[in-house]
Amino acid sequence: MIYLAWLIPVVPFVSFLCLLWMRKAARSLASWFAVAASAITFGLTLAVFFASFQQGTFTQEWSWLTIGSIDITFGVLLNPLNSLMLLLVSFISFLIHVYSMGYMKGDSRISVYYGYLGLFTSAMLGLVLSPNLLQFYMFWELVGLGSFLLIGFYFYKNSAKQAAKKAFIMTRIGDVGLLIGLILLFWQTNSLRFTDIYTSITAGQVEAGMVTLIAILIFIGAIGKSGQFPLHTWLPDAMEGPTPVSALIHAATMVAAGVYLVAVMYPLYMASAIALTVVACVGAFTAIYAATIGLVQNDIKQVLAYSTISQLGYMMLAMGVLGYTAGVFHLFTHAFFKALLFLAAGSVIHALHTQNIKEMGGLNKKLKVTSFSFLVGALAISGFPLLSGFFSKEEILAAVWADGQYVLFFVALGAAFLTSLYMFRLYFLVFRGEPKKSLDHIQEAPIGMKATMVVLAIFALGIGYVNTPWFGTFLGDWLTEGASFLTGGHHSSPVWIMLAATIVSLGGIALAYYIYEGKKVDQGNWKQSFSGTYRMLSRNYYIDEFYELTFVKGTRGLGMAFHYIEMYVVSGMMDMIQGFFFSIGKTGSKTQNGQTQTYGAVAFLGLVLFMAFYIWKGGY
Amino acid sequence: MPMQPYLIVALILFCIGLFGALTKRNTIIVLICIELMLNAVNLNLIAFSKYGANANISGQVFSLFTITVAAAEVAVGMAILIALYRNKRNVNIDKMNTLKD
Amino acid sequence: MGLLSFLVFSPLIGFIVFCFIPKKEQTFIRNSAVVLHALPLLASGLVLFQFLDHASLAEKINWITFEIGEKVLGLHFELDVDGFSLVLILLTTLIGFLAVITSTWHINKDNRLFYQLMFLLQMGILGVFAADNLFLFFIFFEITLVPMFFLISKWGGTDREEAAFRYVIYNGLGSMILLIGIAAIFVLAGSTNYAEVQHYFAENGNPTLQLGLAFAFLLAFGIKLPIFPFHSWMVKVHVHAPPAVVMIHAGVLLKIGAYGLIKFGVGFFPDAFDSLAILIAVLGLFNLLYGAYLAFVQEDLRSVFAYSSISHMGIVLLGVSALNTAGIQGAIFQSVSHGLIAAMLFFLVGSLLARTNTTLLKKLSGLARLTPLLAGFFLAAALANLGLPGMSGFVSEFTVFLGIFKEMPILAAIGTLGIIMTVVYMLRAILNMTYGTYKSTYGEVQDLKASEVVPAVVLLICIIGIGVYPNAIGHMLQLTIETILGIGG
Repeated sequence: MIYLAWLIPVVPFVSFLCLLWMRKAARSLASWFAVAASAITFGLTLAVFFASFQQGTFTQEWSWLTIGSIDITFGVLLNPLNSLMLLLVSFISFLIHVYSMGYMKGDSRISVYYGYLGLFTSAMLGLVLSPNLLQFYMFWELVGLGSFLLIGFYFYKNSAKQAAKKAFIMTRIGDVGLLIGLILLFWQTNSLRFTDIYTSITAGQVEAGMVTLIAILIFIGAIGKSGQFPLHTWLPDAMEGPTPVSALIHAATMVAAGVYLVAVMYPLYMASAIALTVVACVGAFTAIYAATIGLVQNDIKQVLAYSTISQLGYMMLAMGVLGYTAGVFHLFTHAFFKALLFLAAGSVIHALHTQNIKEMGGLNKKLKVTSFSFLVGALAISGFPLLSGFFSKEEILAAVWADGQYVLFFVALGAAFLTSLYMFRLYFLVFRGEPKKSLDHIQEAPIGMKATMVVLAIFALGIGYVNTPWFGTFLGDWLTEGASFLTGGHHSSPVWIMLAATIVSLGGIALAYYIYEGKKVDQGNWKQSFSGTYRMLSRNYYIDEFYELTFVKGTRGLGMAFHYIEMYVVSGMMDMIQGFFFSIGKTGSKTQNGQTQTYGAVAFLGLVLFMAFYIWKGGY
Repeated sequence: MPMQPYLIVALILFCIGLFGALTKRNTIIVLICIELMLNAVNLNLIAFSKYGANANISGQVFSLFTITVAAAEVAVGMAILIALYRNKRNVNIDKMNTLKD
Repeated sequence: MGLLSFLVFSPLIGFIVFCFIPKKEQTFIRNSAVVLHALPLLASGLVLFQFLDHASLAEKINWITFEIGEKVLGLHFELDVDGFSLVLILLTTLIGFLAVITSTWHINKDNRLFYQLMFLLQMGILGVFAADNLFLFFIFFEITLVPMFFLISKWGGTDREEAAFRYVIYNGLGSMILLIGIAAIFVLAGSTNYAEVQHYFAENGNPTLQLGLAFAFLLAFGIKLPIFPFHSWMVKVHVHAPPAVVMIHAGVLLKIGAYGLIKFGVGFFPDAFDSLAILIAVLGLFNLLYGAYLAFVQEDLRSVFAYSSISHMGIVLLGVSALNTAGIQGAIFQSVSHGLIAAMLFFLVGSLLARTNTTLLKKLSGLARLTPLLAGFFLAAALANLGLPGMSGFVSEFTVFLGIFKEMPILAAIGTLGIIMTVVYMLRAILNMTYGTYKSTYGEVQDLKASEVVPAVVLLICIIGIGVYPNAIGHMLQLTIETILGIGG
């Protein structure tokens, strides 16, 4: 069974080709076809997962490109980390396929939508299966392509066009970092295979400065993909895509690929303390930075987007403080509850046709399942005790404390507090309180959407128990077993950290209740007295404006400068060369004046000259 | 050497002819000058056939040919000239550059 | 007559047949042009099979011999192919065939003459790649100039005469330098056969002389490639020549520059190129960034693609400057890949022009609504052009950067800026045109017909094929690259 692992990315890709080929003919069947394909993929993944669970690491490779004596391969690799990711991706992708049947019903381009979804799934699975860094990079870019196509799915909207372009360019900037890192690493280790890289790094064959440089370059790739500061600005804009896409790509899978990359290249980071610190600091800063912006957004998807950025920062922080298991664990739990939150938000949008939370309220009466699912998701992400997010967050905090990064510890606590605050602000504003509009025509989502939300809610509730301090750390043990480079293993966390995390989480929820449900604070008054801060937060610290002013304008300016060089210097030179030949031609043509006598005279002069020369040379 | 005077006369004739052919605007004068040059050639041919290093009759035969051809040439040339004159009311050579355009 | 001669002169059959077809038989002319252009395509397929069979394809017919003193000098008709030239021959016949198919839809003036010139052009290009000595190479190189001049000046757009003149002046200049170089080599080595010349310069190295010759080759082929600041003729041609001709021009003709640089420059004068490496790398880097930044501010889709070509040829130069296996292989891959991609882009430009009559970016918007196929292919070609993995552009860019990072890491790191810029300008141009709201200034346009999809699909399959399994041509090139770099040979 395990030999069929290569089929896993192929199935959704074939579905992509078929759906694009028969765009019009397959419209009515497209969703069933795509769901069937993703079900097959999920089934295959399950089979492969259990096979690899028994067999351990498995590799299969074929030659791809020969450059002289260098042979670059492609193939599949299965180890605990990536079989876990494989399962996660194909499971959530399957759920999203099912959910989209309801959400995208009646869209005239539904087969294109499902086709793109298939392309993305295929690329993401290929990325996870990569046995070497180059293949990883290739699928990494293809994942970006899937994201780009789906963000721009509503291509006739100008905002979607801009968002798609921005997403592609911003992630490309990160990708170039990864590409440079990859090439430098290749010339250091003479191989791109992960196992070879691990061996030469742990054996200390690469000098320390180079390791740090490569680690940071690769981290730039992760920054771009995972929406970390300062390359995060594409992720909020990416919410232009259909909501199931946001759930799949921009919450659960693709954006987590950056964290996954750091996890895959972990030996590199363990070899460089500086790189680890960079990762931790960027992660912690992003976590708190995005959380503050999330507080003031009024678009339901924007809040969730900033929440995603913040949570990804959390995972990076965990990675940066040697909390490998904690980071991967949080990636795992986050995928479920964030997908759940997005799907619930999608259900709200599907019912109300608006994303502005100021126009919502009191929805829990009408959208019971949605409201319940959202509550579960919000509790999970806030780290409410005994839900999945609680365990993973607590483990991250413990890892930060154990690594001795006390400043980052308090930053992380602050971010956790803000997380529960903005999540419950959202919950209270959308689902509780008085409705802003008549809710008579509002209907709960169709059964397919409800079912997926319930399934995800169950996972968000219970998935944390795969790795708890009380019932055993199965996940951690399994991951450590597969990654021999990990030392230390599990951190024994002091009880007070768990208590602190609980207090912070409950505090955030209480404050949100106090402000938004209890209406104890006059919000208008509040906005006015802090108008500067408020405006700064709601404009994302003016970072987009800053980029517009510096990079976009700078690029255009340089382009125009070259344009003037082209117009004046280069074409001036061109005209000179052309003019030179033209003037030769002109002068030559002047002698052809049609006067026979002139011709005769010239011919005679020539004769005289020849004679003179003849005489001067004295004969031959 | 008795050949030298002949050659000098021929040279003078040729130069006058050449000068006229290259500078005169009236086509008839140009034609006459061309005749002058041809005659200079004839003179040379005859001089060489009489006093040349390898004197024989063929030089004189050549000059007879030249005279004949020259006569034919003048006939044709004059005919063209008259045709041109009928068209253009002018026989100036510098006006006859219509082939150029 | 050998297979190679048949390949090279097979377009001539078409040329002669066309002399006897009456001008008025429009449809017959179109159909037979397509059929007759399939001839070189088939012949090149045969050549490929022979080559893969390791059969010798070399041909030699004695042509001119003369003696100077004791030396017997000869100029002969010698043909041969190696992996590199075979790949380019296949590219030529494929793109030539597709270009002719494209012209049957878009060319409506003096059809017979047009296809005759196309036949001549095809013959010239095939000869350039199949020639086995410099002299023959030069003759065929010159043959390509003449039909191109008429193709541009007669069937081009608004500024066609100017474009044709610039084409001829610049290329003539390049040819002149090339001829001087070839003459010098002939006098020195007593032969112009590639193998003999390479052998001669490997044994008799006068460094200064070699440097001079290498520089002459760099200049001559640099104009063809083109290298900044000799590029403006090429922009004119891209913008004003008919799209079907630009398919051949951007797809194949520019690659003669890369071919010459690698095969003659690097092949004959490795030491001289080693000392020129920094210069070439800087030129390549400048080409890459200059073209990219200029493409970003262009208003016309065709100029965007023209500057994009300049930028991509910069990558070829970077690969050449690395002077290692990866760099050279990358440069070759880039030549082939850019040939396919540029041909596809200009095929689509032709289809676009036939529908909207303009390529000005500000007049185009939201085409994806009415013409989803055209827009989709444009997007696919753009993605290939910006080096998306899984397509040929990525393989070549990656290989080039792999090579150059080993030799000049700092320069290469600056060069990666070009990778970002490619995305910026390609997406700007393509998304402006296909995404957004539809403008109805050019009426209701029709999407691509089924027959029009064929060339785009063929090119896309080739692009993706190379991208997914680059060893398909990578294996053919190994021996050639070893010969060029003088490893083990």
